[in-house]
Amino acid sequence: MSQSLRPYLTAVRYSLEAALTLSNFSSQEVERHNRPEVEVPNQSAELLLQPMHISRNEHEQVLIEPSINSIRVSLKVKQADEIEQILVHKFTRFLEQRAESFYILRRVPIQGYSISFLITNKHTESMKTGKLVDFIIEFMEEVDKEISEMKLFLNARARFVAEAYLGEFVY
Amino acid sequence: MSFQTTDKSVLAAFKLVKAPIYSHCFSNDRSLLAITCETDCLIYRMNGANANPKLVATLSNHDKTITAVDISIHGRIVTCSQDRNAYVWEPLSDGTYKPTLVLLRINRAATCVTWAPNGYKFAVGSSARIIAVCYYEQENNWWVSKHIKKPIKSTINCLSWHANGVLLASGGTDGYVRVFSGFIKGLDTKEAVAGSVWGTKFPFGSLVNERYHGAYVHDVKWRSNIEKIAYVAHDGTLNIFDSQNDLQSVNAPDGLPFKALVWINDHEIICAGYSCHPVLFAEAAQGWKFAKNLDKVADSNQAQISTHTTGTSVEDEDENPTFGMSALKKFKELDLKGKVSANVKESAHENAISELASFAESSGQVTQVSSSGLDGKIVIYTI
Amino acid sequence: MSDWRRIDIDAFDPESGRLTAQDLIPPYTTVVTLADLQPKISQLRSLSSSGDVNSAINLATTDPPYSADENTKAEYFRAVLDTLKQVRQADITNIVKSLDSKQHDVLIKFLYKGMSIPEGQKQGGILLTWFEKLTQIAGVTPVVHYLSDRNTV
Repeated sequence: MSQSLRPYLTAVRYSLEAALTLSNFSSQEVERHNRPEVEVPNQSAELLLQPMHISRNEHEQVLIEPSINSIRVSLKVKQADEIEQILVHKFTRFLEQRAESFYILRRVPIQGYSISFLITNKHTESMKTGKLVDFIIEFMEEVDKEISEMKLFLNARARFVAEAYLGEFVY
Repeated sequence: MSFQTTDKSVLAAFKLVKAPIYSHCFSNDRSLLAITCETDCLIYRMNGANANPKLVATLSNHDKTITAVDISIHGRIVTCSQDRNAYVWEPLSDGTYKPTLVLLRINRAATCVTWAPNGYKFAVGSSARIIAVCYYEQENNWWVSKHIKKPIKSTINCLSWHANGVLLASGGTDGYVRVFSGFIKGLDTKEAVAGSVWGTKFPFGSLVNERYHGAYVHDVKWRSNIEKIAYVAHDGTLNIFDSQNDLQSVNAPDGLPFKALVWINDHEIICAGYSCHPVLFAEAAQGWKFAKNLDKVADSNQAQISTHTTGTSVEDEDENPTFGMSALKKFKELDLKGKVSANVKESAHENAISELASFAESSGQVTQVSSSGLDGKIVIYTI
Repeated sequence: MSDWRRIDIDAFDPESGRLTAQDLIPPYTTVVTLADLQPKISQLRSLSSSGDVNSAINLATTDPPYSADENTKAEYFRAVLDTLKQVRQADITNIVKSLDSKQHDVLIKFLYKGMSIPEGQKQGGILLTWFEKLTQIAGVTPVVHYLSDRNTV
């Protein structure tokens, strides 16, 4: 693991660990509802806790928004050029369309981020908190690797196509 | 099934249900155990520490998650739920229970309930920013309630009665610990509170004491004979204060917040919460201090982080073995994902502890405590 | 027809007792202005430029201007960020060790704040090193305190 990635992931790990202290909390606003307080327009400010930004640089950031019964984790994945932008978009879209089988994935990322997760008290009650943290950390490690692999593959393919096409004109 | 654990402090661990247990309670003689399980309240008969408790009754009148349960000294069970209702369950001679709806008159979830020591009234906390003090009215044959409203600004998380049955401590998500008077005419006598250090007059609903903490208050408990209140909050602290507002605060050794606490004696408190194991605090000459962990797994967290980093660095080194081998390795890794290797020791509770209660006492000292967890287990610890 | 179904009836109830973000800010007895804070900022800058980073960090994390307005806080934070940048990696552990737990809580607020604004994000690597050393020494405790603390820097 590169030198600067480790402290980044450590910071995310500690922040998640602290934020994943959720309770079952029924809505104060709407009768007989139990909803993730971080996601609803909220008239009770006390239910939201301090947001946590963790950034490695301008392009790689994590935003954790905690509340009493849910947290929202948003990742900004590194996008160095246009190809990576397209790849990240395609990749996250692919995952988001299958969000129901990922349980904690949010269908739409919040403004300015590539992908968002929503973890509620239901998730922390049925899964081990430590494993949830591990999952997000592992996802962060994998997603960069995945994107750069795809980029290499795409470049190789483009080169092959270009050679095959331009080969036509060589006599 | 009871679990084999090597730690001596765990006396028994019962995996009762597959859903989180938010609250549990033992009857006065410790023969009955009531737990919350989604929309039902389950009643078990205890067969000692070694045998599994036997399910004897299911109380299912609520239609939303039950948040709390309590048993009075007379054996009456009270349950309250997010469906805004509370029921009092009267035990009948044939082992069944007769429910009576309590007129709470609240329009949001009921979050916590606790019987007064004399067993003739109880208090219900709610998300409607109201504490309802309920008592039985003979002429109407009904449980009615009186409201404490001011100055509560947010959900009530926890309530605790003083032994005199008049003073009621509460804590909530607005970060305040407040002491109210729950004096009901006809039930309580002025003699009970005569000479109290907390004040002279206690009309119903009056605010006796108030303390701003800031973070959510998860649990509050009286120690009546020394007139002290202890509470745990979401910033991972245990705090003890008295009528002079002399406050002492200690941090959790693991950092993660506590959900519950119980007094062991005048100078010791056990807390438990998101770190999944109880922690003992003791009062020394210099004030309250962390004393010891019960049933703690040896630094699992540190180990986890270090294995994680070493694991990946090893992977980096042999990144390019022959192609087929790496594919095989990848499948093996995927297969093992999320599994814990057998030699990892786990604490008795695998998820956060939601409530603690005293299980056995001798000469004013609690010797055994019970805990309920979000993993559906009840664990009994010896201290 | 008016949209009466969407009327927020609880807003008309004077006893509804909702808490707004304003209500959560703890009441401060005094309000610190930029002029009040200027001596401290210049002291901070002179300490860090003279290389006495240990005292500089100690000063920065003592009695931060919680009650000040956003501009003053930003000004103060710039001075703190410059100090944090000055410290050599090898010294961080010792400096963090010399702070008490209250100062740890303040330090982590600066770190999170730094990572939330563009100036700090450029220095992400340095702030993350601070974060790592801090959690090595104090564990998750300062992070848990940060979550519930309504005092901001």
